[in-house]
Amino acid sequence: MSSTETSQALKVVDAFDLDDELRTILKPGEMVRDSLGRRHRLPRYFYEITSHEAALATRLTPHFAMNELILNDLKEAPRLQQYPRYVPCAVRILAFYLEQFRAACGASVHIAVNGGYRSPSHKLAFDATPHLWGTAADIYRIGTSILKTKELIEKFNEIAEDLSDDIHVLPYGHTSGKNADDHLHLDLGYMMHIPREISEDRMEQPQESRPRFAFEERRARDRRAPASED
Amino acid sequence: MHLTPRGKISAMPSNSAQAKERDSVAAAEVSLYRNVLRIKDEHSLVDLGISFYDAETTIQWAYNADHYFHAASTMKLAVLLGVFRQVDRGDLPLDAPVHVRNRFTSIVNQEPFMLDLGRDADPDVYGHLGKTLTVRELAYWMITKSSNLATNLLVDVIGIDTIQRALDELGIDGVRVLRGVEDQRAFEAHLNNEVTANGLLKMLRLIADGKAYSQNACDEMLEIMLEQQYRSGIPAGLPKAARVAHKTGNISTVHHDAGIVYLEGRKPYVLVILTQFAADQGRSTAVADVSRDIFTTLAESINE
Repeated sequence: MSSTETSQALKVVDAFDLDDELRTILKPGEMVRDSLGRRHRLPRYFYEITSHEAALATRLTPHFAMNELILNDLKEAPRLQQYPRYVPCAVRILAFYLEQFRAACGASVHIAVNGGYRSPSHKLAFDATPHLWGTAADIYRIGTSILKTKELIEKFNEIAEDLSDDIHVLPYGHTSGKNADDHLHLDLGYMMHIPREISEDRMEQPQESRPRFAFEERRARDRRAPASED
Repeated sequence: MHLTPRGKISAMPSNSAQAKERDSVAAAEVSLYRNVLRIKDEHSLVDLGISFYDAETTIQWAYNADHYFHAASTMKLAVLLGVFRQVDRGDLPLDAPVHVRNRFTSIVNQEPFMLDLGRDADPDVYGHLGKTLTVRELAYWMITKSSNLATNLLVDVIGIDTIQRALDELGIDGVRVLRGVEDQRAFEAHLNNEVTANGLLKMLRLIADGKAYSQNACDEMLEIMLEQQYRSGIPAGLPKAARVAHKTGNISTVHHDAGIVYLEGRKPYVLVILTQFAADQGRSTAVADVSRDIFTTLAESINE
């Protein structure tokens, strides 16, 4: 497996090199559609987090640890409810913006379960959203305020939007995916981060004979399957 | 109404003993019937449904037991059954984490709704908003403190279809589960969960007998039900030493209790009491009174 250590001892993995089950779950490099039908390519490079203790100990910024961005419940694929866990490398950039947001709010920022990275196999991943890139956060509490009213959500949305044009928020409303009524959704779009240690040559040079994309495997399987008789 | 000492008559040694037992049972039946009517009258109940089965004597007795009532929180027993169906099949680990989120979808128009946090006092669940609780913890709070939030979260996890499938698989008629709780739009459209006393009795008997999926699943369910914290129903009519695995159900016009009563030195009895009253009347002690009356009648008939 090709891997490298970042300066903060996080192992970066090329998801093409993970086992079949993980590649099927993470779908590295596959194209998916968002709710408007626009196509986006899923991330390929992930941090590998070996244990809950490691997730707690990995500080992405002074106030955000890795564990806060990978909290999921039973809606996540069972394999990803266990360690080692995988999170797209762009999560570090999200944490940077969350730190700025925290400072602007002047209070602690609490990310909901299923509110950070979600794999494409997560039961909430009906359509592509930046959660699948590790670049979105659903925040349910800021300081002591539970975000469940229009006033609170709009107030903090405004703070987030004022921070940077890179930040997108969902307005208050009751339609899942389009707006939010019990959290603040903040994202950076479909951003992919390729750590500088990575050489992308391997995109053109498969290291093994096996197909590298899950969809390629499916197609290969389909080709091998005998034609059905009508 | 019938009072039937099933299986016992054939075991009696002589005709005179058999006749004596018949007289005793008939007297108990008359006494129970009179008392139930008196309680119904005293408490101005609109409706009353009772179903009873004693595993020790095999006596079974019922009053208006196939009449459907609004289930209120007794529907949570069906949710518990559905959860343990999935657990027993290996489809749902009891320690699986569930996101505690106060946001649900109405069955009427698929619009989201939130529970009124002030309506049921279960900080044990609400305190975890945004975090997780395990399936086991949610099942515990759903039954022991009748947490509506825990109930709706579990309904979301397993799905209404699974709950109905569990009821069908176990042949439990008389329990209809359409939705979670506090779905106001469904309530206004008269789409409610409903139960009969006989339906709940059958469910509880299966659990008491270890026949709801597996002995292990039943033991887990009983363990939770024995921890019930609301004890103004069936337990209030019993000696303090009695242990009751039960679930209450209350809304503005109904007060129910359905449970398995364990008394020292004898097999348990299963009792379901469903009461309905006028909205302006409020809850009374009718359930406890019926529970007391049945216990007393049972004790007297055994002593005879």
